[in-house]
Amino acid sequence: MKKHTWISVATLTLILALTTILPASGADRALMMATTTSTDNTGLLDVLAPEFTKATGIELKWTAVGTGKALKMGENCDVDVLLVHAPAAEMKYVVDGFGINRREIMYNDFVIIGPAADPAGVAKKSVKDALGAIRAKKAIFVSRGDNSGTHKKELSLWESTGADLPEKEQWYVQTGQGMLTTINIAAERNGYTMTDRGTYIKYEANLNGNPPLKILVEGDKILLNQYSVLAVNPSNCEKSQFDLATEFSDWLAGGQAQGLIRDFKLMGKQLFTPNAE
Amino acid sequence: MGSVEPIYKLRDLRHAYHHRPVLEIESLDIRRAAIVGLLGPNGSGKSTLLRLLGFIDRPTRGSILYNGHPTLPFADTVKSQVTLLPQEPYLMKRSVFANVAYGLSLRGRSGNIPDRVQSALRQVGLSPERFCRRQWNELSGGEAQRVALAARLVLKPAVLLLDEPTASVDAASVELIRAASLNARNEWGTTLVIASHDRQWLDQVCDDMCYLFQGRVVDTDGSNLFFGPWEPRADGHYEKKLANGQCLVVPPPPGHSAVAVIHPSGFRIVPHKRETGPETGKDPCHLEGLITQMTLRRGREQLAVTLAVGDLGLTVTSAQHEADQQQLYPGKKIRVRYLPADVEWISGRN
Amino acid sequence: MEFLVDGFLTAFQLLFSADEQTFSAIYATLKVSIYSMVASLLMGVPAGFCLGYFQFPGKRQIRLLTDTLLALPTVFIGLLVYAFISSRGPLGHMGLLFTLPGIAVGQTILALPIVISLSATAVESMDRHLRVTLISLGADRKHLLFSSLWEIRHSILAAALTAYGRVMTEVGISMMVGGNIKWHTRTITTAIALETNKGLFGMGIALGLVLMGIAFAVNISVSALRKR
Repeated sequence: MKKHTWISVATLTLILALTTILPASGADRALMMATTTSTDNTGLLDVLAPEFTKATGIELKWTAVGTGKALKMGENCDVDVLLVHAPAAEMKYVVDGFGINRREIMYNDFVIIGPAADPAGVAKKSVKDALGAIRAKKAIFVSRGDNSGTHKKELSLWESTGADLPEKEQWYVQTGQGMLTTINIAAERNGYTMTDRGTYIKYEANLNGNPPLKILVEGDKILLNQYSVLAVNPSNCEKSQFDLATEFSDWLAGGQAQGLIRDFKLMGKQLFTPNAE
Repeated sequence: MGSVEPIYKLRDLRHAYHHRPVLEIESLDIRRAAIVGLLGPNGSGKSTLLRLLGFIDRPTRGSILYNGHPTLPFADTVKSQVTLLPQEPYLMKRSVFANVAYGLSLRGRSGNIPDRVQSALRQVGLSPERFCRRQWNELSGGEAQRVALAARLVLKPAVLLLDEPTASVDAASVELIRAASLNARNEWGTTLVIASHDRQWLDQVCDDMCYLFQGRVVDTDGSNLFFGPWEPRADGHYEKKLANGQCLVVPPPPGHSAVAVIHPSGFRIVPHKRETGPETGKDPCHLEGLITQMTLRRGREQLAVTLAVGDLGLTVTSAQHEADQQQLYPGKKIRVRYLPADVEWISGRN
Repeated sequence: MEFLVDGFLTAFQLLFSADEQTFSAIYATLKVSIYSMVASLLMGVPAGFCLGYFQFPGKRQIRLLTDTLLALPTVFIGLLVYAFISSRGPLGHMGLLFTLPGIAVGQTILALPIVISLSATAVESMDRHLRVTLISLGADRKHLLFSSLWEIRHSILAAALTAYGRVMTEVGISMMVGGNIKWHTRTITTAIALETNKGLFGMGIALGLVLMGIAFAVNISVSALRKR
């Protein structure tokens, strides 16, 4: 009878002991980065981080959040370095004194996807004409609506058409969710959406290469998505590890990292184009 | 015996729950090693009195002298000396052994705990081999009550307070609980105070009786409490109409809801020789009823005769020889008489 | 629906192949939940006991407050804790952001109202005969307190389990405060969120099954204790 008691006490104690004894892994020097969900979700960082540690002895820790939150974290001095993709916001960030040494690293591109039947007839058009057609036909358009880098990009596309934002239109659906969820919602509603190519490739693969939504608009210059690395400004954040951030920035712009980025493939397709100078 | 100081002296005791008075006792003594029966209807304050005697609660006002000293809850002199067995037994969520041993282990006298626990269990008729290792939730109601009693008996208490100890247990447990309680008095001189509705048992075993009514000690053995409404009569008396047309006639009551008490010795049985005596017409204070029950009061050579008068039950006492003479037997119709002066009043609570 | 079957298969694969990432997440989850449970029980049980046991002015208001705090959304707690332990926050110098102890602080805030409220309720619903019995058997005030506490051990255990369930499964605090950092603060729940975002639903389900397995193991151990 008493045996049960001892067994359970022993089990609980064991769990307790294990969790306190097992050491947390970690190098001496660790760099904290805030980045966007796209770099993490594609798995690019899982390839880059170990190589970076191997090359420099610095451990790279990152938290993947929306661009807005990543910038906020840098402003609050919670991270040392940022890898983000919202050029306009980044410029302002540097001017405001929160970031320093902005350096372009790579780009990928966005695409506009929609039902294969293409009810608004946007296929092969320019971004400006395509969005105009969607607006004219009042076809469903699904937006991230979460103030992420992708969302900001989409808003800039609407702005480029010269008309007002379709913020309150019936056909303009804002999900407030991640990219993949947003694509799924667009598919359910038989609507259009804008996505980064990486997520689309994943989505395509999930559905065994036969998704209901197809790429309809691509290649327009405005659809390019520039990723940059920024160090958190040490004059704003005393304790930030500016030297480590610089080392990371230099390494990313260097030949080894640029090569890794070029060779990084998802479902056999290249996702990012390195363009560091 | 009379020279020995009472174990309890209660003086001017008041107790209230949420500002509502539930107990008012001017004076009450309890003799050492006595068995005291506590009677009274539900809500009369029996349990409250037992909790005060058990030093569970602190009285709102007044004092309880225990062995001559004013005593409050948690006093060293009463700790594990005075013990109360509540009506619903509560067993701690432990084994039977741990429940019985609890009080002993608190006392720190850890000498022979297993032996003493076993003997206490035997006293209440539970086999230690079978019961020691059982859990609290593996007992019947009667067994649980007996374990609770054993947990008290193991302390060899000076005072054992029992609140309806046999109210909700099986017949076999009733016998065992009664025997074990009496045994405590006989073996260790434990003072017993027993609240119970089992009038017959109390009549048998108690040295003293205490009747509580609406929080007060009433000088009666518990029978013959008459409730209103009282209606005025032409002759200045008041009356209560009974179901069969008779009337209970009383002097003017002190209040609307006053309760009349007539001590059983206040009633006289009218000899049945003359059906219509000369005085019956003048004296309104007589009643006619059927004997329903006759019991012998312990050691008093007295019979308590219970009558049914309409819907009213009343008790009269009769000496044994008197009962012989009048050939009293249950089922017989008799006539009783009382004097208005023998009617006492308890001012009822509104 | 394919990914459901896929998820079950992956779950076994992950566990039996001792997948390093999965074990890192399990380890982080266990460690952080044990931190927060120890902290919330140490603070919550005595506080809940006092709240249920003693009468004092303001008691009802405090009860109302703790009961309201039961409904605290985890993302809100996460945001709150982030604001405090961010480098710019009042507790920034402690360096708790993006660490397991940081998550534990948030989870303690999550678990504390549960522990307090449920133990206070347990004390309030304590059998009124218990007090009479304990005093009758010679308990002094100290014994009365400890024996009463021991009597309600099963309810306290149930409170702890409820809180543990909440702590183990929350994602808002771990995400906000921990940052879902691989090898460091990635717990099972944040890993599920990540895998789902990546579109790897099967992997998400596998991790969910792992979480349920842990919860099952804990409940089995505790229910064995409860019988005593």
